[in-house]
Amino acid sequence: MNRYVAAAAGATALMVLAAGAIFLYAPTDALQGPVQRIFYFHAAAGLAAFACFAVVLAGGFTYLWRESDRADRMARSAALVGVVFTSVTLVMGMMWAKPVWGAYWTWDARLTSTLVLLIIYAGYLMVRRLAEPGRQAARFAAVVGIFGFIDVPIVYFSVTWWRTQHPSTIIVSDALPAQMLSTFLLTMVCTLLLAVVMIAIRYRIETLADAAQVVSEPAPIITAREPEPVGGL
Amino acid sequence: MSYLIVAYGFAAILLGGYLVWSLLKLRKLS
Repeated sequence: MNRYVAAAAGATALMVLAAGAIFLYAPTDALQGPVQRIFYFHAAAGLAAFACFAVVLAGGFTYLWRESDRADRMARSAALVGVVFTSVTLVMGMMWAKPVWGAYWTWDARLTSTLVLLIIYAGYLMVRRLAEPGRQAARFAAVVGIFGFIDVPIVYFSVTWWRTQHPSTIIVSDALPAQMLSTFLLTMVCTLLLAVVMIAIRYRIETLADAAQVVSEPAPIITAREPEPVGGL
Repeated sequence: MSYLIVAYGFAAILLGGYLVWSLLKLRKLS
């Protein structure tokens, strides 16, 4: 328990460091003003969500291949953390869109495909919650997790495949000044470490919950059959 | 400026709240 608290405290300290870089080190954008600072964590949270869903994909494949309970638990844990980060990405994006675009939401390809991503993995979690725990639920969820991942490259490439309101990926196009780029990379690393810690804590919770479920299930009572009456009496 | 505060405030509350909730749940199960 203590090492998980220590890991959470460490991840929180790193996020405070990233916040310091975002608000004190990175320069203010000349065109958009302070609201552009939303970018650093908005993009980092989106990439952390992608990483979480990649873990769900790997866990799903491993479960279907080897029926490994560990892989299934890992997929379950990463799906929940991925949904949390996707929610952060969407809400922060809306807060950035309002002053820049004049609207919180527009049905462009990037925003819509991200919303679909959130719905897919929220559906994954609902499958896990509503289905009877066991092999069938794990197999079904693994398939949802694998097919759900198809949306991740759609979200990422949506800004190049379609004409969108959302800007294209400026990290790859080398359009960021050095101070902004270093702030983003620091935020990205800190956010990924936070995601790893959150998945590790969730994995431990799932392990303990699975163990508690096995203990609480009543053992089947095997009784000797009563002897059949002899001679038809 | 208010949008910036709301955006980071939401992120801090959601992620911080989730982290604290997870640790409390872990303590309960341990």
